[in-house]
Amino acid sequence: MTEIATTPPALSTPAAAGRRSPLYLAWRRFAANRAALGAGIVLVVIILMAVFAPLVSKTGPNDQAFLTTSLAFPSAEHWFGIDDLGRDFFTRIVYGARVSLGIGLSAALFSLLLGMPLGALAGYLGGRFDWVIMRIIELFSVVPPLLAALLLATLTRGGVWAIVLISGLFGWVNVCLLVRAQVKSFREKEFIMAARALGASPWHIVWRHLLPNSVSPVIVGFVLAIPLAMMLEASLSFLGIGVQPPTPSWGQMINVGMNFMYFYWHMAVFPTAALALTILSASLLGDGLRDALDPTLKGR
Amino acid sequence: MLSFIIRRTLSMLATFIVVSIVIFLMMHSIPGGPFDGYDMPLPDNIKARLMADLGLDKPLWEQYLRYMWGVFRLDFGVPYQSPGETVMGLIAHAWVPSLVLGGLGVLIGAPLGILLGMAAALKRNSWIDYVASTIATLGLTIPVFVISTLLILVFAVWLKWTPASGWGEPKRWILPIAAYAAVPMATYARYARSAMLDTLNKPFVTVLRAKGLSERRIVFQHVLRNSAIPMITIFLPMFVGIATGSIFVEKIFRVPGLGAYFVSSIEKRDYPLEMALMLLISALFCISYLVSDVLYALLNPRIRLGGKDT
Amino acid sequence: MNAMAEAPALELKGITKRYDAQTVVDRVDLRVHRNATVALVGESGSGKTTTGLMALRLIEPSDGRIILGGEDVTRLSQKDLRPFRRRMQVVFQDSYASLDPMMTLGEIIAEPLSIHGIGTRAERGEQARAWLGKVGLDGSYATRYPHELSGGQRQRVSVARALILGPSVLVADEPTSALDVSVKAQIVNLLQDLQADMGLSMLFISHDLSVVRSLADEVVVMLRGRVVERGPTERIFTHAHHPYTRSLLDAVPVIDPKARRRRSFLSAAEISAATPRLRPADIEPQPLLDTADPQLVALVGSHFVEAIVSERG
Repeated sequence: MTEIATTPPALSTPAAAGRRSPLYLAWRRFAANRAALGAGIVLVVIILMAVFAPLVSKTGPNDQAFLTTSLAFPSAEHWFGIDDLGRDFFTRIVYGARVSLGIGLSAALFSLLLGMPLGALAGYLGGRFDWVIMRIIELFSVVPPLLAALLLATLTRGGVWAIVLISGLFGWVNVCLLVRAQVKSFREKEFIMAARALGASPWHIVWRHLLPNSVSPVIVGFVLAIPLAMMLEASLSFLGIGVQPPTPSWGQMINVGMNFMYFYWHMAVFPTAALALTILSASLLGDGLRDALDPTLKGR
Repeated sequence: MLSFIIRRTLSMLATFIVVSIVIFLMMHSIPGGPFDGYDMPLPDNIKARLMADLGLDKPLWEQYLRYMWGVFRLDFGVPYQSPGETVMGLIAHAWVPSLVLGGLGVLIGAPLGILLGMAAALKRNSWIDYVASTIATLGLTIPVFVISTLLILVFAVWLKWTPASGWGEPKRWILPIAAYAAVPMATYARYARSAMLDTLNKPFVTVLRAKGLSERRIVFQHVLRNSAIPMITIFLPMFVGIATGSIFVEKIFRVPGLGAYFVSSIEKRDYPLEMALMLLISALFCISYLVSDVLYALLNPRIRLGGKDT
Repeated sequence: MNAMAEAPALELKGITKRYDAQTVVDRVDLRVHRNATVALVGESGSGKTTTGLMALRLIEPSDGRIILGGEDVTRLSQKDLRPFRRRMQVVFQDSYASLDPMMTLGEIIAEPLSIHGIGTRAERGEQARAWLGKVGLDGSYATRYPHELSGGQRQRVSVARALILGPSVLVADEPTSALDVSVKAQIVNLLQDLQADMGLSMLFISHDLSVVRSLADEVVVMLRGRVVERGPTERIFTHAHHPYTRSLLDAVPVIDPKARRRRSFLSAAEISAATPRLRPADIEPQPLLDTADPQLVALVGSHFVEAIVSERG
């Protein structure tokens, strides 16, 4: 080691501590946010129930095993009662979580696959490419997603994949804008210039610097896309052009439940509550993540 | 300023034209022509004559131009579900219930939301702040049809305070108005809170406090005025957004408004009506964004008009 | 190779940057000799940072040439430039924005090595740790993140990253102006020590003349994209000729309270009106442009000033 006489190398050694990476700090902030943490736990429970649905209930979602006791109210045996076609309603709701969450997650993934590269390119390249992307986003902003989804759903006649596609088509805009803003703000940062001065290739800059620094908007965009897609699915299914029966979907169940509401309240209450709880948890989780990741997102 | 307005108008017009082309093409990609669905197929020569009469044999771009020329004269064609009238006539009488209920919903929900948001900002971390945040989150995340269903369940089915649905005497309006009010209330509660907090944290407010101005004068004379800009600019887009919600509210509460017709146009595959409503709502969106952009520019003396509008 | 050794480490010839109609840097000549430090001074907006970034080819010049160790690198493609990148490095002013917040200090310092494919991962980590020591930080900082450091510590990391490839030229773009006075002195000392160790040539961009005086061999003063005065440091500090240079010098706080100076702060309009007028007799004999516009002329020896030269003065 070179001797440096005039510079006191007396700067204290760092105090022993765990890795204080920016993401770890974000996690600490997130854990301090009780609403978001609670929402996360609720969501994990719902996801576990959806994944292990066959273990949670004895009958299948479409088994008309209790026809003689159709529309029975909730009891110790049938927690959420029986529906109009003699199916255990709790089973239907649990399997409905599969559909709802499955669509939410796949649509969010689709939004990410579309929005992340487009946002990164628009932010990094700027210029004409950015202009085109921004005009396309403007188009999406003047078409109300639900109406366009209605139209598209009529064209495709519903179905799970059509809905994933439609939700992704409207979900990528958010992801794209988030990633674009982040990349744009980092593109002119000195550490990017330093990397360029070192002779780093554009690929190295994107891969080693811009993408790791875009983790926050990507996570936030992904999580916030989930409730949006679930809402879209439920809305379309509610109008009868989404997921088609007998596949259990909460939106569809609410639609059916409305007709029975005055005499058999359980038909409307449980799917409504399930949908509200799940969407609320997913949104709170997304908001909490955004708040927790924001300080690093802003750079300082 | 004028050049800014003109530029925004042209850009919005271009956006609208592209949107209309996309909608038009989507409508045309529906498999099967209008005369294919009958039990007794029409002879080919008659079909061809009918198509020619309706201009359906023309190239797509010409059909589009004809359609848009009709739209320009407010002629949207004839709805399949009631061939006795025009799409325009149907819209003309259907928008009244939508506007009455939606308008009342906004007029009640927005001020309530603003008050709630202000109270939350002034008493940060108090119970009212938590109530406001909860209402804002619920209203913004839970779909309108879920809120509507819950309203009926609680107030009509269990408490039996109000009739569940229908149009006619005003007491039937209570629940749909409440359903409509949810979104504006939630939106404004959140916006008002964050706008107020933003302004309250500005140095000039500290200066006012240091000058010994009473808190009430600070809030009403200075903070409110400075927080008003974002609240005004979100008003129109939000109002149009309510139009989307009307689809569900009107279906659930059985109100014969535009939203209800939109639903039936989907169920009955009434394409002329569906197309007209889509275009109408997109146009309203374009106009409302344009107006709020211009309002924002007018209200905010610092906005740079020369800058890029991305 | 002998001629190469004689060539200045970095030379800019008539370097110019135009954005649309605006000329930000106007035909600037610069020469940084081996082991020497040239200070580029001027207020913000004078084009000094743009000049530095052009020298690094981080901004493409509109005109002029960049010669690095005798080799013209102005027109090289980014790919062909890569080997030359090892020979010229940079330290920026904003120590926080200079370091990727998602990387550990060890990764940051080792990054130049991995970009140029030098050594194995373990060797790079070892070198990074060694360099942490050279810039006065404990090796255990290698696993820490930039946000855990002070501004001065972060600037040390920037210096380590810039020098790990062993460059011959360092462009330091106001590396001390965001730092406290005591920390500033430490960074200046560090740069001086490393310069002596490594035989480094430095282009030191600053508006802080007290730092410049202790560090630079030559001072180049820029005003609105043009060089208005240049000369050996002591000469400039004692015999500044251009009114703008003098107003810059007068802005430097005086440490000795007895040594009061007459201060002459000038406005932009006053400065442009105050371009010195000289007669050919006032300056060294030299070929002059036959023009009424200001031109850079040799006053005495290597002391140049921008002036209007005419017989009537």
